[in-house]
Amino acid sequence: MKTFLMEHKRWFQTLLVLIGMFLLIQYLKIDITILFTDFHYVFELINEMFPPNFDVIWDNNTIFNSILQTISMAYLGTLIGGLIAFLFSIIASNNIFNFKLIGSIAKWVLSFIRVLPSLVVILIFVVAVGPGPFAGVLTIIFATIGTLGKLFTESLENLDPTSAQSLQSTGAHKLQTFKYAVWPEFVPAFISNLLYCFDINMRVAVGLGIFGGGGIGYKLYLAMRVLHYKDAVALIICIIILLLIIENLSNYLRHKILRN
Amino acid sequence: MQTSMFKKIVQIVAFLSFILVTYFAMQACGFKIEALQKGLKDGMFFLTAMFPPNWTDFKSMVAPALETLALSILGTLLGSLVSFIIAIFAASNISNKWVKLFIRSFISIERSIPELFILLILIAAYGLGALSAVLALMIGCIGMLGKLFADAIEETPTSLIESMKASGASKIQIIYYGILPDVFPKLISYALFRLEINIRLSVMLGAIGAGGIGFELDYAFSMLQYNRALSSLIMVLILVIGIEQLSAYIRKRLLINQI
Repeated sequence: MKTFLMEHKRWFQTLLVLIGMFLLIQYLKIDITILFTDFHYVFELINEMFPPNFDVIWDNNTIFNSILQTISMAYLGTLIGGLIAFLFSIIASNNIFNFKLIGSIAKWVLSFIRVLPSLVVILIFVVAVGPGPFAGVLTIIFATIGTLGKLFTESLENLDPTSAQSLQSTGAHKLQTFKYAVWPEFVPAFISNLLYCFDINMRVAVGLGIFGGGGIGYKLYLAMRVLHYKDAVALIICIIILLLIIENLSNYLRHKILRN
Repeated sequence: MQTSMFKKIVQIVAFLSFILVTYFAMQACGFKIEALQKGLKDGMFFLTAMFPPNWTDFKSMVAPALETLALSILGTLLGSLVSFIIAIFAASNISNKWVKLFIRSFISIERSIPELFILLILIAAYGLGALSAVLALMIGCIGMLGKLFADAIEETPTSLIESMKASGASKIQIIYYGILPDVFPKLISYALFRLEINIRLSVMLGAIGAGGIGFELDYAFSMLQYNRALSSLIMVLILVIGIEQLSAYIRKRLLINQI
């Protein structure tokens, strides 16, 4: 029996996964037949979507402004969040700031920030400062502190200690060591992580629009709410092009920085 | 002398434009310090209003939390399957060059569409419910997993594929007996990583109408039942942290098995 199981191990694993999927579908009460019987709705939707109404982009300036707003949200979020994350990472990394207890508290705070879903954060900020791009920026700052704080702490802890030690042996104090030994080595990682995070934050900034974050995401949400699918598709294409440009730009710059 | 002067001017101009860009960005976002000060006070009041969590609500939160969990697991499973099939066509060592180019660009376009909008489109077609949410999560996987899987497949040693080809194996045999066993641990660890993302996503999707714990959270917020909101928030945190720990554990085991 055992050898039989071992021989056909992969088939049994596949079978188990299939049974698991079936049970999950049952549990969620999903009616798969709808997928096929309602497929004509998909066609109707596509009919309604095409051709996309690109006039909406040129028609009123608000779309252009909201694209700028989304970019600004991601930019400010990355910049301010990155600076705060940097301060956090200096405290959290155990090779620069030598207070173990405070360091582990900072690490704990960072992982708590990372665990909080951005839905919760935006809901809280919308209550605090009202809906709009400002709430979106604050949410992005918050999320950025979590992600970049961890990345920065790791890259600070992975720095080669020899140059800092040799500087210290010549009598340099903490700040001087930081400025001349730690900082120059840390800068490439700092900037490339910022660029990476900007790319992610652009996506987050678009998505947050739905929950009152403003920007192009909010405009798209409005267009879909009032069933203007032709406008919505034009906006989606706009967003795709925008995000592709940002992604490739960020990748290009990062490669360039890391190679130098 | 000239060059150092030039360098200094460039630095100053770069710094000034940086300040200018930041200023305009702040204007565009309505970034105001006073609003932040006032908001901080309101926010603190609001946070204190959330405590203590409504413990009696916990019982009614278990079913939605399980629903969210089931949603994200099913979405990740289906998404991984679809992504693997797509990744085969996007890997340069088995696929045709033009097909690869086409599929790769499809993957990166998909990556640019936020999952929330995929869900909104699906809701327009299939209505509110678990079906739309699972489909949205599944499609959302393609952008990330399709790329990662394809890269993993491309890393399989060429000697393996060549020797199978030489012994007369068909494409499907090469994929099933050669590539799949080679990349399987990687696939699992990427899929687990995606599961961590999907559990957060499905909380967010729930708020737009996919149901589950995200809906409970959003509903409690909009009904101003802050204590109830806190209990659903705690449920969300339990889910997210639980999945993260589980995924880290399984990935560690995989790594040990591999060595």
